[in-house]
Amino acid sequence: MDALLNNDIIQDIILLAKPALFNIYFALAAIPLGFPFAIILALGKNSKNSLLSHLSAAYVYAFRGSPLFIQFFMFYSIALVLNKPLWKPLGIDEFMLHPLFLGPLVLVLNTSAYAAEIFYGALRAIPKGEVEAARAMGMNKWHEFRTVTWPNMIRLAWPAYTNEVVFLFHATALVYFTLPVINDQKDLMNKAGELFEQDYNVFLHFSVAALYFLAISMVIFWVFNRIYQRLTQHLRQDAKKMAFKPNYLR
Amino acid sequence: MTPILDVHNIHKRFAKLEVLHGLSLQAHKGDVISLIGSSGSGKSTFLRCINLLEMPEVGDITLRGEAIKLKTHKDGSRSASDAKQVQQLRTQVSMVFQQFNLWSHLSILDNVTEAPRRVQGLSKAEAKDIGLEYLNKVGIADKADTYPAFLSGGQQQRVAIARALAMRPAAILFDEPTSALDPERVGEVLGVMRGLAAEGMTMIVVTHEMAFAREVSNKAIFLHAGLIEEEGAPEKLFGSPTSARLQQFLANTTY
Repeated sequence: MDALLNNDIIQDIILLAKPALFNIYFALAAIPLGFPFAIILALGKNSKNSLLSHLSAAYVYAFRGSPLFIQFFMFYSIALVLNKPLWKPLGIDEFMLHPLFLGPLVLVLNTSAYAAEIFYGALRAIPKGEVEAARAMGMNKWHEFRTVTWPNMIRLAWPAYTNEVVFLFHATALVYFTLPVINDQKDLMNKAGELFEQDYNVFLHFSVAALYFLAISMVIFWVFNRIYQRLTQHLRQDAKKMAFKPNYLR
Repeated sequence: MTPILDVHNIHKRFAKLEVLHGLSLQAHKGDVISLIGSSGSGKSTFLRCINLLEMPEVGDITLRGEAIKLKTHKDGSRSASDAKQVQQLRTQVSMVFQQFNLWSHLSILDNVTEAPRRVQGLSKAEAKDIGLEYLNKVGIADKADTYPAFLSGGQQQRVAIARALAMRPAAILFDEPTSALDPERVGEVLGVMRGLAAEGMTMIVVTHEMAFAREVSNKAIFLHAGLIEEEGAPEKLFGSPTSARLQQFLANTTY
């Protein structure tokens, strides 16, 4: 019995390995783009230029204020409507309507709004005195950003940003709920649903899918924790032991 | 001789409240000028107007004969015509803060070398030499690799002084450098400042340390309600104050 159960689980793990790659792809495509976009939005929202700050704030509000699920539907239907007048004539219809493009696009737009709010909060919490010291030493805006704003912002935002990244990864399960599955390009949720419909095993398939999410989340937590350790080494007594200190993360 | 700093007729308001009503000051090479007065008299604001951390609505700042160019906007506020010129002013006139304001994520050495490297374009090695030299001077070179969080207030303030010195400025502004320190840590910071004064560093010091003002400075300025109430040689100011306000202030100050 045990062997049989093991077999089932292992079979599911094997069957879900390729679908897991789709979730990983969506996250890996969205995070590196969402991160800089979020920082630009946060700096925009924090800007003294009122047009820039209002535009950024409006964007953040729009994407934070509406469900991701609806954003997927909305962007997919907009993409469909534009197919005939725009994508087809340009010959990019297959690309524009492809979930592997639309999925990350919507995820980037959504996560950057949430992450922007996180970075914006961090920007507001940067020690004023440190900024003032930079100015008093003759630094220009860029020096000030590099010496004080950036390192403080990243460090203050990191735990909350870690959360957002994990949420984003979990949100990848929504992509194929709204966008069409092309050929055999199924993600974890999709494949687990398909397996469930074959044998109605209520325990097995979604649990193994969840197991994949747990495992990959663990990797994300581990990586982000390592980075956080480095970002906060100046606050720990044993800091000297960590000699490796790349300049780009200061 | 052209003074290093010539600050003329500074007026500063916060919203509708005018806090400085026309203050002037000249600092020649080697001057140590103490700004004293009760809290709210405008000493710190005046000091911060000198390097334009606060922008005065009226008044001029001249660094070694070169006037800092400021432009007036429609609403009466002003800003620098040339941001580079103001940055130049600040590298020439560096500052030490009451709350130290060290960059917490940088090591002590990096705190001292950061501005010379970024602003003055020194190489890492050059900046390190200078940084260690000044950390040595303030007696804290052994802590070069630690971070500000692990230093006492007095040690942090000495690092801040080294940071200001590493710019090799013509003058240093001190904004109540010992007010945030434990009483037993005040001496170590004042000691460093005495040393600098003895070497001929030009300093403008906002302070509540009357003994320091009296002994170390060659000029003292007593501010009251945004105006210079009395100024002159410290012996005279502390020995035979003429204004009633200063007499009262000194009577209420123990030192």
